[in-house]
Amino acid sequence: MTGEGRTDVYERLRRLLFLVPFVSRNPGLTVDHVAKELGLSRDALLEELDLLTLVGRPPFQPDDFIDIYVEDDRVYVDLHQRLSAPPRLTAAEGVALAAAAALLKPGQDDALRSAIEKLERVLPPHAVTRFREMGKRLDVALEAPSGLATLSQAIVERRVVAFDYLPTSTGQPERRRVQPAELFSHRGQWYLAGFDVARAGERLFRLDRMGPPEVTSETFAPTPHRRATIPGAAESHERVTVRFEPAVAPYVRERFGPEAKALADGRVEVEVPGENPRWLTGWVLSFGGDAVVTRPDWAIRSVAQAAGASLE
Amino acid sequence: MERTERLLDLVALLLDSKEPVSWNELRETFKDDYGVGSTEACERKFERDKAELLELGIPLTFVKGDDERPDGYLVERDAYYLPEVSLTPEELAVLYAAGSAALASGAFPGSQDLAHALRKIGFFSGGPPPAPKVRLELGGVADTRDLPARLDALWSAISSRKSVTLDYWSPRTKEHSHRVVDGYGLALRRGLWTLVGYCHLRQGIRTFHVHRMRKVTVNTAKPRSPDYEVPASFSLDEYVATWPWQHRFHEPLRVDVLLTGELSPLAGTLFPSTPADDPRGSRVTVQATDLDGLVKYVLSLGPAAKVLGPARAVERHHELARAVLAAHPTVKEAP
Repeated sequence: MTGEGRTDVYERLRRLLFLVPFVSRNPGLTVDHVAKELGLSRDALLEELDLLTLVGRPPFQPDDFIDIYVEDDRVYVDLHQRLSAPPRLTAAEGVALAAAAALLKPGQDDALRSAIEKLERVLPPHAVTRFREMGKRLDVALEAPSGLATLSQAIVERRVVAFDYLPTSTGQPERRRVQPAELFSHRGQWYLAGFDVARAGERLFRLDRMGPPEVTSETFAPTPHRRATIPGAAESHERVTVRFEPAVAPYVRERFGPEAKALADGRVEVEVPGENPRWLTGWVLSFGGDAVVTRPDWAIRSVAQAAGASLE
Repeated sequence: MERTERLLDLVALLLDSKEPVSWNELRETFKDDYGVGSTEACERKFERDKAELLELGIPLTFVKGDDERPDGYLVERDAYYLPEVSLTPEELAVLYAAGSAALASGAFPGSQDLAHALRKIGFFSGGPPPAPKVRLELGGVADTRDLPARLDALWSAISSRKSVTLDYWSPRTKEHSHRVVDGYGLALRRGLWTLVGYCHLRQGIRTFHVHRMRKVTVNTAKPRSPDYEVPASFSLDEYVATWPWQHRFHEPLRVDVLLTGELSPLAGTLFPSTPADDPRGSRVTVQATDLDGLVKYVLSLGPAAKVLGPARAVERHHELARAVLAAHPTVKEAP
């Protein structure tokens, strides 16, 4: 049993009903290629191919069996026994796809929205009601900021995007033109990584500090892009120590894991990067007194000044 | 005969057949499976097989007979085959980007369904298209080792309406409690997954962070019979806070917030409500059911964000700002 009402047979059957038409449509792919496509190990795929040679339709004459075989490490199907295309999407598959699409928050007129609408139209009629019902049980729609689908499309089409940006470092809005490379979310926050044309360098942009992105007609050639990361305390040159009161310590431990150092009195201490004082002060203020910067002095002053200014 | 093999044979037979295949023909064809033992036992075995195929979305139909032919079963070919969806290259690419990002996050419920769906939509295009780089780090906590398995188990339980038992850790009491929950839905907010459902211990609808669960077990008794119904009026959004002031800790309080300077043009992004013009910047009004959550959020935005009213909210804003100030004694700048 794989959980709920589904059995191991369910998963296997679903895989095999895809495998036959897939090989039939793509003859001569290597065993490793087909295994990867199906998310199987090489040995597991060979086992599945063995099983398929026993499958057919009555009266089980030689021509009634599926004829799938490996030759020179490549997979072929000669007789697919009407398994020429996979079955339609199930309601559960449709919901999973729609929920994943919702993570990118499709807008009214973008490609993601139209793709989901097209897919819903090809669901089997009996699955549509279940698709809609199950869709209400998985909610990720409110997670993403708007603009994600637009930016994804700009990445695909390699188009420069322009937007107003409010950097946390200066607090002054600036117009940016960026060759978008990668979108990613880290701890609930979305970022765009790309090449800032005016600054001639790779930069990270927080989507919640970005105005609506405009996809320009300017295209750019593909360039190697390193996987973007959010700098952690370990890579930081300016480390700041923050101590948390016992009331919030368990939540801090959940988020930071072993990086949160337990203190004897139930409090915990973490080190965070200090390169961005505006982010740091905002984060410490969000704990309303339950987080205290203990060093360095400039960070303590910065938080105190921000708290003081909030009272004016 | 192995069950998977029998079911595949059944699909091949019914997909190929122009006429409905009667129960007697099926018994004759699958002698070792449906032809041995009592008629009732054989029928039950076939019913189980049929249910498995229907669950897979295979349009196995019972056709009532007439004078010419007996009752029988067939698979409607038009309804069986995945039709070409005619997605544009852009549509395919962004859909793939979303799906593969969710899969790669390792923390997305229904991951097997999603993987199959992606294979199917790529079927006519000959494999995965070049997709934009989109990466999701879901989970929002340090320890996400068991999250994928827990999410899949919970989503499976919700899909088939089976109860789950779990041990739930409370950071407040620092203790585990044993719960039986009828899962109504899963929601993702700020990188964290939450299960909403009826808690048998508390006898009401409760929310549970998935990363705080241990030993999640789905009720496997009678797998095809649901354990509960989800109330028709239930809506996930009513129970899961999207913004920090939406936790339901007190009666709704209408609070006005002013955003000035650089924050003014970002008002529509920083708050879900439509901003109103104000001579000083942008003003937003929210219904807070967790005033401290709102005040801390406003504080985090810095001095360009202020609580305008009511007095209770303004006072709490000042109180917390003073608490931060008191915790950070003035350190003189080096000359």
